[in-house]
Amino acid sequence: MTMFDKDLKVGIGDMKFARNEGRVVTYALGSCIGVTFYDPMIRLGALLHVMLPNKGAGGDQNPFKYADAGIRETLRKLTVFGMMKSRTVVKIAGGAKMFEISGKADFGNIGQRNIMVVKQVLREEGLRIAAEDTGGVCARTMFLDVGTGSVMIRAVGKPERYL
Amino acid sequence: MAIEKYSDMNLQELDIMKEIGSIGTSHAATSLSKMLQKEVRITIPRVSVLNYQTALDQTGDPEEIVAATLVKMDGDVDGLMLFLFNLRFANRILEKFMGKTFEGLEFMDELGASALTEVGNIIICSYINAFSQLAGMNIQLSVPSFTINMLGGILTVPMTECGNDTDQLMYFDADFLIEGEKMNDWLLMLADIASLNRILSKLGVS
Repeated sequence: MTMFDKDLKVGIGDMKFARNEGRVVTYALGSCIGVTFYDPMIRLGALLHVMLPNKGAGGDQNPFKYADAGIRETLRKLTVFGMMKSRTVVKIAGGAKMFEISGKADFGNIGQRNIMVVKQVLREEGLRIAAEDTGGVCARTMFLDVGTGSVMIRAVGKPERYL
Repeated sequence: MAIEKYSDMNLQELDIMKEIGSIGTSHAATSLSKMLQKEVRITIPRVSVLNYQTALDQTGDPEEIVAATLVKMDGDVDGLMLFLFNLRFANRILEKFMGKTFEGLEFMDELGASALTEVGNIIICSYINAFSQLAGMNIQLSVPSFTINMLGGILTVPMTECGNDTDQLMYFDADFLIEGEKMNDWLLMLADIASLNRILSKLGVS
């Protein structure tokens, strides 16, 4: 069970990266989105947990809360550590709709908007999404194994699965 | 002086919020007690102002499966009301109403889910009725919405609603004691900052 000791926890609106071994994990993604970046050549992996689509003009100090600013800041950091975009495998999970209120169709749509913006920003950055588990109504926990690059998803009432 | 961040509230303002929260919670406990025909007590209600991550860490295991009723508030107060049941509490209620219990919330059938939605809704409505009468505010409530999901994912719902304005969550909560047994439930009232200012000025504090 030594592998669990090395789990690196990513909070809400946060990003963590690791190299060579261990796991990076973020728990209970609801409408939030987890984005993993993995460069297999140098075994460098990052997990980003964003909660909102666009940063906007506000003076918010934390870029990782937002899809657009968060992805760009993550890429900037990883590039410094030797990541090459052309080798990088990207996977995304989350964006669920937690609550449905009849008569208020736009309530809880944040998940869909998050998915849209994450995909758009990744496309603008020239990154292809290798696999995704998005939408639906279930919260998900996302693991990235930095040794192998495999991504595991745990969701309510479903068996664990690899992306 | 208008409040710009939840953490700007002074002790007196926090105390007043705690007091009205406590009146709302007692009404909620009364209706729960009537429904269950059992003695229901409440612990002293708390009002908390926490950073998102701290709020998540304090609630417990983010992957715990809980059931939740959510109602959206509009009118003089904008925000959300959230009532969370853990498995034990849900079973206590379902045992009373349906004569059956579930091994896990994820196995809940439609009838059970519907019963819990309504119980959550009644608790929330009695809270808001008491609150709005006391504060003299007009609050409209949406129809209830229900989910069985991971705790962490549910708690991010109010965070994403106000995430562009703040990194903090202000909420009132109290625990129910059913015949002396403490239930880990959550009755959360989450109001945005503009509404908080309206509540405080209506009560004559700021």
